[in-house]
Amino acid sequence: MSIQKSWSELQTMARACKIVVDTLDLLEAAAQPGVTTKELDTVAREAIVKAGAKPAFLGYRGYPATLCISVNEEIVHGIPGPKKLREGDIVGLDLGCVVDGFYGDAARTVAVGRASAEAERLMKVTREALLAGIDMCRPSKRIGDIGHAVQTHAESFGYSVVRDFVGHGIGTSLHEEPQVPNYGPAGRRERLVPGMCLAIEPMVNVGRPEVEVLADGWTAVTRDGSLSAHFELSVAVTEQGPWILSDPYPYAREAANA
Amino acid sequence: MPEAGRETLEADAIVREALPNALFRVELQGGSRASLLAHVAGDSSLLRLRPGDAVVVEIAPYDAGRGRVVRRR
Repeated sequence: MSIQKSWSELQTMARACKIVVDTLDLLEAAAQPGVTTKELDTVAREAIVKAGAKPAFLGYRGYPATLCISVNEEIVHGIPGPKKLREGDIVGLDLGCVVDGFYGDAARTVAVGRASAEAERLMKVTREALLAGIDMCRPSKRIGDIGHAVQTHAESFGYSVVRDFVGHGIGTSLHEEPQVPNYGPAGRRERLVPGMCLAIEPMVNVGRPEVEVLADGWTAVTRDGSLSAHFELSVAVTEQGPWILSDPYPYAREAANA
Repeated sequence: MPEAGRETLEADAIVREALPNALFRVELQGGSRASLLAHVAGDSSLLRLRPGDAVVVEIAPYDAGRGRVVRRR
């Protein structure tokens, strides 16, 4: 299994991830009351093309858009359309792009205008759960340690983590081995090795973890209608610890030969 | 974009032998023709499987030698 990337491959991954995160910054600013989800998709597509990259989701298993946009009780995979954002909505923005054959993938949930205190807390906890998972991306850890860290954090606030969708390895395709669940016991599953790239993406619900997929075949919603948040970053495991690929390499360079 | 998180794979198989304790030896269809030990899931009508019956088995990614018959086909 060629899951370990060379230093130069990681550089390309980092370029792709940076484009995604910069575009998410644009989208976050554009997510205002009255804007349609279709308009945000156009913003995303134009920004990615302008940066010299290619949308990763468009056409992936038949997915019809550049952006996944999931409002309130929608968990992930919401298809952009005529729906207008309203004050107080929370909106999951999930985006990927391809640069020189390598994929970048990231997501965040943002508030339109002012969201309720409950929604703000959900987004904060989900983001923290992602960071707790990322902190496990070190050689000597295992995939199960990531899920365990995410789940423990989210459930300590009374929330639940979605089981039906998982994070994934990422590289020359959008979804590679191994799967990265957001739950489960620590110390299990694949061992982490330097050069491995993982898209870690907790999906956290206020209510129960069960999912329903709508008739469009994509949009996943919480079965109990409760609010859901989703944060994702692509991360490389290095000898020195996790590297969030959309950030500059965070360690001293000479040891960077993972 | 998250991936659909299936913990198990499903595969078509043919029952080759009925063993004690509701265990069956089944042969995978398609490429490998591997044979594996499978127990039956839930439905008691599956207890009456006989050699030659076509079934669907579920296989956990970490143990390819064992499976679980989930339905007839």
